Parts: sequence; structure tokens; C-alpha cells
Amino acid sequence: MRLIMIGFGNLGRAFGRSLLEKKEFLLTNYGLTPSVVAAVDEYGAAVDEGGLDVKKLLKTAEKANTVADYPARGKKGRSALEVIEEVEADLVFELTPTNIKNGEPGLTHIKKAMMAGRHVITSNKGPLVVAFRELDRLAKQKGVEFRYSGSVGGAVPVIGLAKKMLAGNMVHAIRGVLNGTTNYILTRMSKEGAPFDVVLREAQELGIAEKDPTLDIEGTDTACKITILANAVLGISAKLKDVKVVGIRRIRPEAIRLAQEAGYAVKLIGVAKRDSLEVGPKLVPVGHPLAVGGTLNAVTFETDLAREVTITGFGAGPRETSSALLGDLIDIHTALGD
Amino acid sequence: MLVRIEMELEDVPGQLVKVLDPISRFGGNIQNVVHQRDRKTPLGRVPVTVIFDVDERARLNRIIAALRNMGIRITRIGEREGMVKSIVLMIGHIIHTDIRDTIDRVNVIRGVMVSDLSLAMGAVGEESAARATIMASDEKRARAALSRLEKIAGEKKLLMITSLEGM
Ligand SMILES: NC(=O)c1ccc[n+]([C@@H]2O[C@H](COP(=O)([O-])OP(=O)(O)OC[C@H]3O[C@@H](n4cnc5c(N)ncnc54)[C@H](OP(=O)(O)O)[C@@H]3O)[C@@H](O)[C@H]2O)c1
Repeated sequence: MRLIMIGFGNLGRAFGRSLLEKKEFLLTNYGLTPSVVAAVDEYGAAVDEGGLDVKKLLKTAEKANTVADYPARGKKGRSALEVIEEVEADLVFELTPTNIKNGEPGLTHIKKAMMAGRHVITSNKGPLVVAFRELDRLAKQKGVEFRYSGSVGGAVPVIGLAKKMLAGNMVHAIRGVLNGTTNYILTRMSKEGAPFDVVLREAQELGIAEKDPTLDIEGTDTACKITILANAVLGISAKLKDVKVVGIRRIRPEAIRLAQEAGYAVKLIGVAKRDSLEVGPKLVPVGHPLAVGGTLNAVTFETDLAREVTITGFGAGPRETSSALLGDLIDIHTALGD
Repeated sequence: MLVRIEMELEDVPGQLVKVLDPISRFGGNIQNVVHQRDRKTPLGRVPVTVIFDVDERARLNRIIAALRNMGIRITRIGEREGMVKSIVLMIGHIIHTDIRDTIDRVNVIRGVMVSDLSLAMGAVGEESAARATIMASDEKRARAALSRLEKIAGEKKLLMITSLEGM
């Protein structure tokens, strides 16, 4: 299968490494031979319709910080849109930064790719919270496959569990700890009793929180994931603005201690139900399946037949999330019966 | 089971301690005591409500017998097997926004009572935190209490954190 990588940052590179690591595995188990025919970042692109050397691509990206420096086949200034339109390929990975305002540049990339008849895999929440329905419809119209497992739960197969394994169920409600950064901060505050700002700085030093952690702390990232789950699993045409959001900025260690004394942990929980979408700090009984610590994510589906099903694991990290991208790739490969 | 006993005590020192003794001696786990000195009966007695947890009916019977033997006037006994307990955290300028008023406005709902309150004061100028336990006689009243509290929290700019189970 011929792949185009739009965005070759942390996740794109980790996925490249997984492709190398799993080359034999993919061939023996699935008869799948992925070939990266193009990679694009903000500076330019590397294109080889016969297949780029992924090892060389990784080395170039790490050294020159752009794929445009790829020997002989790299070209500065070649844009994602040009590549999507001009390069023969089966599938496009959209892995550019998240923009929750208008979904760009990812939204246009995905639309262009679908119009060109290419399957799409993305981990980018921006286009999904802005235009989920539109993209879903366009994919169907164009007869292409569209997957976005990595956008919610990172490595944790949240969407796949609901849409595939629980396919015979009516899902009534989804509740989850969907943001590793805030969960880390809350966990550290509860263990150390350290003030919010101190724990936040520590998380930034460890690379768990971003330089600008606003989207995480204000609950927006969790709200994005709730929006995606509402659309993908509950089938509601929700947008980000439909989610009622409260962040964790006002949570202090003393409040957490009061909760602990009564047998509760404080967690930032996202809830999606057909009549309400909300995100906010909640008291979770110690020992409850959603009372996960550190950077872990956990999601509970409340369903009619299976009752409650909870899944937990690593919600971010490039290597971990490459598991979701690879899973989507294999899933599409299998769906196409190649 | 959760039991609520309402009684009227003579307004003399030591009475309250006297009635609490058999309750804990026979295995009752006292959750809350409300001593309403400002609502004396015409005969000058003080209404007192004690809420406690006890695991067997036999123990409850012994407690009641002991109180009656002491000559205590019991006005009401309510067993609240299905009593609904909600824990709520609040963060904000809790004291400055009149915590007494906050609790009173919840307590006026019939069948609802704020039975425990713990405070963690913030440093000067900073926000404080409080944990309240709200007992309600049924789910409907528990929800009413929480939505009343939510409204008050909105007015007073407090962050209210409820339990996941209620979502
Ligand atoms: N990292 C994770 O663990 C993780 C987990 C789940 C979801 N995600 C999501 O996955 C996406 C990628 O994450 P990441 O960590 O790989 O981000 P990243 O390290 O910031 O990489 C983004 C990549 O996109 C490129 N890019 C930006 N604008 C572009 C444009 N207009 N055209 C082409 N390429 C463009 C960047 O190029 P330059 O370097 O040249 O600017 C870079 O290669 C994000 O939406 C993120 O939210 C990430």
C-alpha cells in the first residue's frame, strides 16, 4: 500500500520507526507491504513514487529537521496540497498540529485527499471537532476509508472497542479520563500535596505538559475527545462548542485531601450522553475503574447488553500512539480485502 | 441502616452527652447531631436530632429502649434504609460568601440535611475548599439538593465538584 505522510513530527517519525520495526510482522501476518511514497512538513516534501527509504527519511528529519533535505528526492517549498494531488498513492496520513478553531491545515488536507480518492488516517483532533459529519459523509461519498483511532485515547483503542467489539450494543453513556497531562497533575497533587503550579512545572520539565498547557488544563482537549466520541460512537452531530467545560485550574491540594479523606479521588472526567456533553472535575471513588493514576487514560462505556466495559492504557506518547495508526492501517487493509 | 431520631431534651447541662452514650454503646455510629437551642418548645425543651448508622435491628431496639428508660422524650424515629448520601466538594471564597447561608438554603429542602462539613482554609486572598456530606431521604430529594447547591455555587462563584456516580 502506498502511503503519504502529511506531517512528520513526533508522531510521524514514531510511526516511521514502527513501520521499520514491524516490516516482517506486517508481511507475514497480514500480507501487507506499506511503502511511504511521500512525506511532507512545513518546509517541504520528500517524494519517491517507488518508495522512500524510511530509515533515510528518519535520519534526514532528525538531522535537518525537515524531510525536504532528503537526498535527491527532497524539495523545499513543495506543499502538502501539491503532494496530495500530484503523487499517486492509496492512503494519506494526516498528522499535522491540532487546530481547534477551524481545523486547518488538516481539514483541507483530509478533504483534498478524500476527493482524490485516497483513504485517510488521522490523529489530528482539529478537523474532527470542526467537521466530523462533513468528513464522514465525504468519505462515504467518495468510497474511501476514514479512520481516526489515535485522536482519542492515544494507544487505547477506545473507538475501535465501541464501534467494533461492542457493535451489537446500544451505548448509553461514555465516561472517561481522556487527558494524560491533567491526570498526571491531579495524581501528583494527591500524592505529594504540592501546589498546582509546582506540579505543572514538573510536568512541563518531564515533557508531559506542553509549554502552553492551556488546552489541557482548561479541559478543552478532553472536550475535543468527548466531541469525537459523541459523533463516532453515539452518532450525534456534536461540535466542540456543544460541550460544557470546566477545567482543573482551581483544584488545589487541600481540596484533593478533603476528597481523599472521604474515599474519593478528583479526576477530570468527560461525559458523553445523548442529552448532554460535559467535562469537569469529578469525585471518583478510590478503586473505581476510572480512578487511574499518572498519565493513564481510562474510558467506560455504559451499554445495554454488556453493561459497563472499561478500557485503560497510555493516552499519548508517539510510540504508543503509533500503535493506533498502525492498527488503522491494518484495519483498512483488511477491510479492502487486499 | 441509617436512623434518624428526633427528641426533646431538658435544657440542662449534660443532657446531650447522656443521650449519645447509649447510641454509641450499643453499636450506633453517630453521623450527625443537630442541637436546636434556638427552637425551644413551649415547655422549654430543646429539639435534638441524631443521625446514626447501625447494622442490626436488635441493636436499634436496645438503643431506643435505653433512651426511653432514661425518660427521654422521643418525638420521631425514622429509619432511612434507602437514605441517599452525596459528597460534594466546593472551592472558592466559601467563608466570605456566607457558608451558613449556603448550608441553610440546602437544609430547608424537606428530607435533606447537610450532615457533615469539613473546611480547608486557603491562605489570605486564596480560595478555600470544603467538603459537605448531604443526606437525603430519596434520590429525588438528593438531586434537588444538588441542583440547589449548584445554583448557589453559581451565584457565589464557587466551583462545585460532585461524584461521578451522579452524572
Ligand atoms: N504525539 C502524540 O503522542 C499524539 C497523540 C495523539 C494525537 N496526536 C496528534 O497528532 C498530530 C501530530 O502530533 P505530533 O506530536 O507529531 O506533532 P508535531 O511533532 O508538532 O508534528 C507536526 C508535523 O506537522 C507538520 N506540519 C505543520 N504544518 C504543516 C503544513 N501546513 N503542511 C504540512 N506539514 C505541516 C510539522 O512540520 P514542521 O516540523 O516543519 O513544522 C510537523 O512535521 C497532532 O494533531 C496531535 O495533536 C499526537
